[in-house]
Amino acid sequence: MIAKNRSQVLEKFSGIAGTLVNQSVEEFKNKGGMVIGYFCSFIPEEIFIAAGLLAFRMRGTGSESTERADEYFTSNNCSFPRHCFSLALIGKYNFLDGLVVGASCDTTRYVYDNWKKSPMKTPFVYLLGFPHVSGEMQAGYYRKELVNFKSALEEHFNVTITDDKLCEAISLCNETRELQRKIYDMRKSDNPPITGSEMVSVMVAGLSMPKEEYNAELKQLISDLEIIPAQNNEYQARLMVVGSCGDDDIMCTIAEEQGAIVVTDHTCFGGKLKYGSVNEDGSDPLQALANYHVLTRPFCAKVGGAYPLRRKVIIEAAREFKVDGVLGQRLGCCDTWGGELYALKDDLRDAGLPSLMIEREYVPDSQGQLATRVQAFIETIRR
Amino acid sequence: MIVGGCDLGSTTGKAVVIIDDKIILGNIVMATPKPAVTAKMAMDEAIQNAGLSSVKNLDYIISTGYGRLKVEFANENISEISCHAKGAFYVNPSVRTIIDIGGQDCKAISLNERGATLGFEMNERCAAGTGRFFQVMAKVLGCGLEGIGSSANISATPANISNQCSVFAESEIITLVNNDIPMSDIITGINRAVASRVSSLARRAGVADNVVITGGCHGNDGLVTALELSLGVKINKLSVDPQFMGALGAAVFAMEKFKAKAGNV
Repeated sequence: MIAKNRSQVLEKFSGIAGTLVNQSVEEFKNKGGMVIGYFCSFIPEEIFIAAGLLAFRMRGTGSESTERADEYFTSNNCSFPRHCFSLALIGKYNFLDGLVVGASCDTTRYVYDNWKKSPMKTPFVYLLGFPHVSGEMQAGYYRKELVNFKSALEEHFNVTITDDKLCEAISLCNETRELQRKIYDMRKSDNPPITGSEMVSVMVAGLSMPKEEYNAELKQLISDLEIIPAQNNEYQARLMVVGSCGDDDIMCTIAEEQGAIVVTDHTCFGGKLKYGSVNEDGSDPLQALANYHVLTRPFCAKVGGAYPLRRKVIIEAAREFKVDGVLGQRLGCCDTWGGELYALKDDLRDAGLPSLMIEREYVPDSQGQLATRVQAFIETIRR
Repeated sequence: MIVGGCDLGSTTGKAVVIIDDKIILGNIVMATPKPAVTAKMAMDEAIQNAGLSSVKNLDYIISTGYGRLKVEFANENISEISCHAKGAFYVNPSVRTIIDIGGQDCKAISLNERGATLGFEMNERCAAGTGRFFQVMAKVLGCGLEGIGSSANISATPANISNQCSVFAESEIITLVNNDIPMSDIITGINRAVASRVSSLARRAGVADNVVITGGCHGNDGLVTALELSLGVKINKLSVDPQFMGALGAAVFAMEKFKAKAGNV
């Protein structure tokens, strides 16, 4: 929720993050543009942009039940893809002209299988491979996957994705990351000008609208935040949210309602996206994208061998943002994040960072218990 | 200085008044569908036992428990995890592990020598290991909660209850009853099943001597015995009714907060 005296940009982002077919998507479609949905943050948006498509990160916004998806999935599949798939089955994703599923966790991959099996008529459905180990050889493999993917897009949408267009898109997305980092950096202050809940909207909105428009809004937001006073100067604790998913502000809202402020995060829809930059030298843009996702930013918890890097990035961020504690969240039955958070809890403790690890469903079924645990955690670490 | 604590749990409401250093417990009231009404009923009991006439006589009140946000007369609210820890440590400063088994959840809290919470664990979205589990089983066996908790029903040959889900455990128990397994064996099996669940929770939070039980299930002798067996430690008794520990902790917090505010004036 956006408080009074806040930047108009936050209101716009909140609206975009809270709906699927937002105004920007509608305008893009009305001009004859094509929208392509995709799962997972290692799928380079730059390729969609270079193809003249609008990339729309798949999310479960507004879903209340997995009833329809449960015909295809079992209850030990995590609830996020099931909610997304349910939305699709009831027609909420009919605006998509294509869908790309990344081979990350098994449940996400099942979306591809089930989408093909379902009555949905999405004209282009593609499964993009992704290595589950970080290394030079794997970056080479991912480049090959991207080459094939680019060809498939070119053929289906009858476009040509040139290296020049890819370089332009890389530059545009690097600018996005830089602007997002600027906003995150503002949250390092003792009086962060933006709450964790608001920041979720900022990040999610960027995955559902054209990048040029988004970057312009981010610039406006940065100038607004420089002059609009902080909203919550009397917080009891500074928190970081780490974990799966993150297209909603539920954990941030619960924590902030209990008197804390969320100052940073390491989630797939949030802080992970702003990390580093893709090489802009133009020599081989697809290799640059592959290197970025496989070597620079192997942040998918499914990527083996890269946990030490993820741990380093999380602990460094916790220190830079002066957090008092870390809230870990994973969706029920998510093995990937179950393992990651199990290891992380001990490593955070060794680094002097208290943590609370929470398992929740995409649509939380026991907010009272969640609030009690988060409140008790804040009470144990508060300043 | 007169302060109060009000613990609005899922099943019962409890309140405590502290006048200077004297602890006055109210009486346990069954939760009504309206938490605000339950809170008033619980607080009225404590006020009456303290010989006071109105909630307005209290200088500071803290609420806790699931209905903590609905206690209209409270100055602020604190989670029941912090309150159970505060209450138990206030009664016995050598307490290091608190196992709170309430109506709808179960928590294990570990404390340091200053009474600060080192860590806690709580059951998630499941009735296993809670008072609700016992209620369901007591209904199936027709023995009441007293029968489940009675030391007379502790058996040396407990039945094996493998399922900790209250729905499936219910079917398992019906099978045992139909196989003429003695009631005491089934009851001990139930207590051991709950103890097994609670023990793993407690071990995750950290178990250190001295261990106490708070919450409504503290009076279940069979459960206490099963927990001692499972954890390999003796569980000590608190000198104040453990079911009031959340409310007492809230009242102790109220006392500290009131003193701090008075000191700042």
